[in-house]
Amino acid sequence: MATQEAAASAKHWRRRERGVTAALLSAPMLWLLLFFVAPVVYVASYSVGAIKLFPTDTGVISLDGWRHFFGGGSIYLGLFWKSVRMSLTVSVIVVLLAYPIGYFLALCVRKLKYVLLLVVIVPFLTSFLLRVLAWKVMLGDKGVVNSLLVSLHLRPANEPIEWLLYSQFTVMLVLAYVWIPFVALPIFVSLDNLDRSLLEAASDLGASRVRTFLRVTLPLSLPGLIAAFVFVFVPTIGEFVTPLLVGGTNGYMYGNAIQDLFTRGLDWQSGSVLAMFLLIVVAGLMALFGRYVQVRSVAAD
Amino acid sequence: MTDIDRILAERYDRRGFMRMAGATTLGAAVLAACKKAEDNGGSTGTSGAPASHPPIEQEPGDLAVFDWSGYGNGDYYPNKERASLWQQYADQTGDTPQFTLFENDDAAYTKAVAGTVDFDVVHPCGYKYKDWVDLGAMQPWDTSLIPNYSQLNPKLMESGVVDGQQYFIPLDWGFIAPIVNLDHVDPTEESFNILFDDRYEGKISWVDTSNMMYIGGMALGVSDPFDMTDEELGQVRDFLASKKHLVKFMWNQSYDFWLAFKKEEVWIGYAWPDTVGYADAAGMNYLYMTPKEGRVSWVCGMGLAKDTQNYFHAHDYVDSWASKKAAEFLLAWYYYGHTNTTADLSVVSPGVVSALGLDDPTVLEPPKAIPESYIPRRDVYQQYWSEVLAS
Repeated sequence: MATQEAAASAKHWRRRERGVTAALLSAPMLWLLLFFVAPVVYVASYSVGAIKLFPTDTGVISLDGWRHFFGGGSIYLGLFWKSVRMSLTVSVIVVLLAYPIGYFLALCVRKLKYVLLLVVIVPFLTSFLLRVLAWKVMLGDKGVVNSLLVSLHLRPANEPIEWLLYSQFTVMLVLAYVWIPFVALPIFVSLDNLDRSLLEAASDLGASRVRTFLRVTLPLSLPGLIAAFVFVFVPTIGEFVTPLLVGGTNGYMYGNAIQDLFTRGLDWQSGSVLAMFLLIVVAGLMALFGRYVQVRSVAAD
Repeated sequence: MTDIDRILAERYDRRGFMRMAGATTLGAAVLAACKKAEDNGGSTGTSGAPASHPPIEQEPGDLAVFDWSGYGNGDYYPNKERASLWQQYADQTGDTPQFTLFENDDAAYTKAVAGTVDFDVVHPCGYKYKDWVDLGAMQPWDTSLIPNYSQLNPKLMESGVVDGQQYFIPLDWGFIAPIVNLDHVDPTEESFNILFDDRYEGKISWVDTSNMMYIGGMALGVSDPFDMTDEELGQVRDFLASKKHLVKFMWNQSYDFWLAFKKEEVWIGYAWPDTVGYADAAGMNYLYMTPKEGRVSWVCGMGLAKDTQNYFHAHDYVDSWASKKAAEFLLAWYYYGHTNTTADLSVVSPGVVSALGLDDPTVLEPPKAIPESYIPRRDVYQQYWSEVLAS
């Protein structure tokens, strides 16, 4: 009898626990449902013509938009690969440049560690737009860089370096600048959590500093490195503001095409196809990288 | 001033912005406003408005204006925009208009179609008028409720007539034409072809809209640049794609173009009148071309929402915009023309008056200008333009 009561009590408790869990989860789940899942379904519906922008549009549900996107003559797939190349380049450069910052902060400084960290993220206090626009002042034909070159007689006054502004180079430069501080953070966290005794052990066993770095530090900070890479790659692949401001005709990216199709082209179906394709690729990448990145490893304890 | 059909114009995106304020008194506009107030006072269905409209006192106010940036919302000249464009309205009604902005005609229309915007008054350009009316979103104005209407150029007013009714009150107008820096550019002729001149690689700026499709069509000499066939559009696309390397950047904001033009980062560009005003004020050695193809002219106007609850407020608002004071503000600060014929041209420099032909009654007529017409297949134009951009 007592056993039955205990079992009933445990069952009741488990049911109650499940109820509490469900209640606690319902708010965020509802949020995700309303502001993530539903919009994605909405955009997906546009991409196959299930929803129309114009009530007068009599088209039927079809995969024509997708077929056109993947078709031989599609320019958007080419544009996508161009964006992937640009984004990859930016991501690699950013990670390479941010790693020494994270390393320095985590392993070389002690007292001023968090003060310097603050200094690194100070640019975030300025508007993103302003930071991008500031580059126009520096890179223009009569900007800071060209003026300096002219004043140092390294360049004739009437022959500025024109590709400094409005080019793919500019877009990648500005994106790298914008993302470096952001990316230094996960690298810093993974290095900061490093068990220092492992470094001492390597040293005791006669490993050189380079060997220690390659065999101990780098592998252990790899999750942070991959997270940093993903942090840059995913947002920059769909980037459209930076190319719009400093990209000129060559810096045009996939994100700009999506924006144009929605805001000016009035072709929401094609725009949705492009957006869904990007989402699918990014989701795939996240799933892939998720295998290597444990949230715990890049988050502070 | 000009043949009506000629003026049916528009422009696509535009507007960046600038400029100062006309001083001046309202004069006739004030008198007209007084008369109007009387009309409205007794407007229980006898002042020319359909009886179905309740008097202005019963209207909710908070007039919802769907407009370009800098046209009263204060983006560029907070005090002057208000004082010149809608202070008369505020004095008459005690209301403060609420602004919702759009960045170009197509974006405005898209929002209306998608039902994501509520408005009483909207301000599209000529080529879009028919779309708005066909959408069933508009109703005709009662011009007897707009005292300043009598000061507006009657020929230009005809461009606001759709299906025989005055659905739009055309107000601001201007041009699209190439501007060149004569210190560096030696044009062999005045033509839009200068935008595709191989001699000036890296020193040219196009606009970042599908308008470049009809500009390209003009360069290729198609019969109707505003209604090209698929074959012609394909040729224009290939032509523009082959010339894209000449372009330093394509501008979204006219002011961005002006800054680059001033800094001589570009010497040649697709330009609106505001660039002319700035270049003139800066003393630059420029030429605002009258291309052999004709400058493309645009006229934009106010439309009244079909389901507005602010029928009389809306008329008062448009009357304010139609005033001499509003006209002089647009001239002096944005270098745009206005359909009010009483505007004092001395608010801008003689150089600007001359460059824009503000004192030339034939400036909006061929061969000097061609109206930017309704493009029946603008979506197709846009598709081809998207391909140029992505190429």
